[in-house]
Amino acid sequence: MRRTYLNRFLILGLAVLIGCAFGASLFAAGKKESAPAFPTKPIRLIVYTAPGGALDITARKFTEIAGKYTKATFVVENKAGAGGMVGWEYVLSQPADGYTLMAVTKTLIANLVATDSKIDPFSLDWIAFLINDPECIITGKKNKVKTAQDIFADAKARPGQQIWVAPPGVDEVMTYKVWTKAGITGKYVPYDSGAQAMAAVIGGQAEVYVGNPADIQGKPDLMIAALSATKRLPQFPDVPTFKELGLEGLDEESMWRGFAVKKGTPDSIVAWYDDLFAKVNQDPDWRQFFEKNGMELVHYKRDKFNQMIKNELQDFKTYLKK
Amino acid sequence: MELITHLLEGFGYIAGVAPFLAIVVGVIAGIFVGAMPGLSPSMGVAILLPFTFKMPPLIGLVLLTAVYLASNYGGSITAVTINTPGTPSAVATAFDGYPLTLQGKAGWGLGVSLVASTVGGMVGIIILILFSQPLAAVAVKMHPAEYFSLALFGLSTVASLAGKDWAKAFTAALLGLLINTIGIDPISGVKRYTFGETNLFDGFDFIPALIGLFALSEVFSKIEEGSWKTQLKGEISKKEQWPTLKDYWNLKWATLQASLVGTLIGIFPGAGSAIASFLAYDLGKRTSKHPETFGKGNPEGVAAAEAANSASVGGAMVPLLTLGIPGSASTAVLIGALMIHDLAPGPLLFTERPDLIYGLFASMFVANGVMFLLGYWGSRLWIKVTKVPLNVLIPLIISIASVGSFAVKNSLFDVGACFGFGVVGWLLKRYGYPMAPIVLGMVLGKLMEVNFRRAVIMGGYGVFFHRPASLILLLISVAAFAYPLIQMRKQERVP
Repeated sequence: MRRTYLNRFLILGLAVLIGCAFGASLFAAGKKESAPAFPTKPIRLIVYTAPGGALDITARKFTEIAGKYTKATFVVENKAGAGGMVGWEYVLSQPADGYTLMAVTKTLIANLVATDSKIDPFSLDWIAFLINDPECIITGKKNKVKTAQDIFADAKARPGQQIWVAPPGVDEVMTYKVWTKAGITGKYVPYDSGAQAMAAVIGGQAEVYVGNPADIQGKPDLMIAALSATKRLPQFPDVPTFKELGLEGLDEESMWRGFAVKKGTPDSIVAWYDDLFAKVNQDPDWRQFFEKNGMELVHYKRDKFNQMIKNELQDFKTYLKK
Repeated sequence: MELITHLLEGFGYIAGVAPFLAIVVGVIAGIFVGAMPGLSPSMGVAILLPFTFKMPPLIGLVLLTAVYLASNYGGSITAVTINTPGTPSAVATAFDGYPLTLQGKAGWGLGVSLVASTVGGMVGIIILILFSQPLAAVAVKMHPAEYFSLALFGLSTVASLAGKDWAKAFTAALLGLLINTIGIDPISGVKRYTFGETNLFDGFDFIPALIGLFALSEVFSKIEEGSWKTQLKGEISKKEQWPTLKDYWNLKWATLQASLVGTLIGIFPGAGSAIASFLAYDLGKRTSKHPETFGKGNPEGVAAAEAANSASVGGAMVPLLTLGIPGSASTAVLIGALMIHDLAPGPLLFTERPDLIYGLFASMFVANGVMFLLGYWGSRLWIKVTKVPLNVLIPLIISIASVGSFAVKNSLFDVGACFGFGVVGWLLKRYGYPMAPIVLGMVLGKLMEVNFRRAVIMGGYGVFFHRPASLILLLISVAAFAYPLIQMRKQERVP
């Protein structure tokens, strides 16, 4: 009897010990001091989505290209959850020493507003805006509603009945904007997976999918009906812009991607990043990889990017809180 | 005939040291990922994804597909030996696999799961190669109403899982559904039961819950019993330890039927291998000559679950290659592997890069063969797990559970959640509530809710009855729910 009790405690003790060792190792990882020269150790690049998605690919492509211009090592870490808030909170839990870089997108702002998060949007310093992926509306080639004119005519013929599918957030807001500008109404059906939403358009259950030009890559059943740009994109010469269709004020709707660090990161480190991002932005491989899908490559630094975040916040508050 | 020449060319593309090495490495990694609770097939594929960026696209694709294929088998190893399904799709494998181990017949569980996985995997690939075009055309016609009805049909399997304690099983399923409502409402964005905790915004992650409910609850029960010296089960004669060829042959119909179900369910984007294995298990039980032995160590149950989840791999590739739409979480990661090489998955690959497509097809056959050989050799090793005394095994399971649940999202919250579910599972078990319906409720809950609401937005409440496929599925579900009740009534009257 005594032996069994002893055994029981031994086992529980061992379990607790393993737990403690585990916890300690995690804490140890977070608390290291920074040295004056930057960088002296690997930089962690936090991606707030699961591996394999568009943002993850962007981050990994960045580490590949950055490797040409710096000896610094980047390690991509996926911290998925709560629409990016888990990753964001994680970055805030780390020191503002530049060793934790976060890959950011417009969706992050949409989710911040949608979830009424307590996180201060400027707890991050938005240091580099690099990719501008135009928003577009996508239809099925085999469906009755194909072109933008078809969409508007169909929506007017049966008000409130046309079905638009897209992930919630950025593409959802784009949906409402198009409806407002075109003076039509429809039914917005949220899909957490863009792929499943596109399957619904291919299958004819929905008329319109809202996304980006890269979405139709490899899917010959889909076509872009209209996209957001000031003039037609050379990659998609047959696709009209919203402006051509008479919808004003939809020229700059995009899904942007960039990078941020924790607020309070020293200026010298931000300058180091500015220099690196400028080089990556000019890299031909980097440009070719994204431009073929109609994305615009730019490099806006912290001042302009932080100002843009202010505008985005206002925009989402108006459209998502309606 | 053209297909056969293409396939032969495909074998030509992968004839070489590098592709073969990729397959072997992929299969080994896949078996490990599958067996390790906390690493699901899609996470395994994702972990290896960055390594493929520098490889030629075909090698990378072959490697990742081998991981995907083998991980669906690997999940059965821990399900059979220690009642800890390594992947969500191996939950149904544990229903009969673990009882076999308790009877000292772990060899049966491991042997049948390996053979059924191999056969299921082969059937999935053959269907993928021969019928992908027409099947994909049907799959995209699935309306949310049909997804809802399919999920409800999946839930109706609770009725046959339950046995005598119908009410308890039903309560457990409802608990699973209830747990699913925690988190941000996927349609309206309202926060439900999150109490301002960011970690709860997405609800409880499925994998830590699974590990807690199955592995830790068992550990806590064992600690309570306090029987340390014992091994998991009694001894059995060497001769009966492994099934013979004849035994496998007797399972042919159960395996084949489950393979077909698995492939078909795998094709639907958003259904998944876990649902495939539950439905196949249920069908296996209903069509078996000995349904009463299901859940008590019937090899047919292991064969059904394993054949189905491995067959779903071929199924999930159907929409990926014909429409460019991933059929599962793992195939979504495969898209990433192609995109980094500037290739878009989809039907255009058949004309633009036939070497990739037919090389991939050929490699899936080879990967299945390699998986069988490695599994055959490995089973002799894994069966030794059942010989490990409990006072070593229990701390081991606890640490694997901690690491596994942490690995899902690199989150300590999930480790805590895993232990919480362990305690809940242990308590529920003491009062005779089964674990499987909770898992089923959690697997199907989101699918049901989201598609129900999408269907209503699109077509109103009548849509479930206006669409013939949905109506048929609903009627079958109602019958499936009611049948055991009627049976029980009859049995009560007879004596």
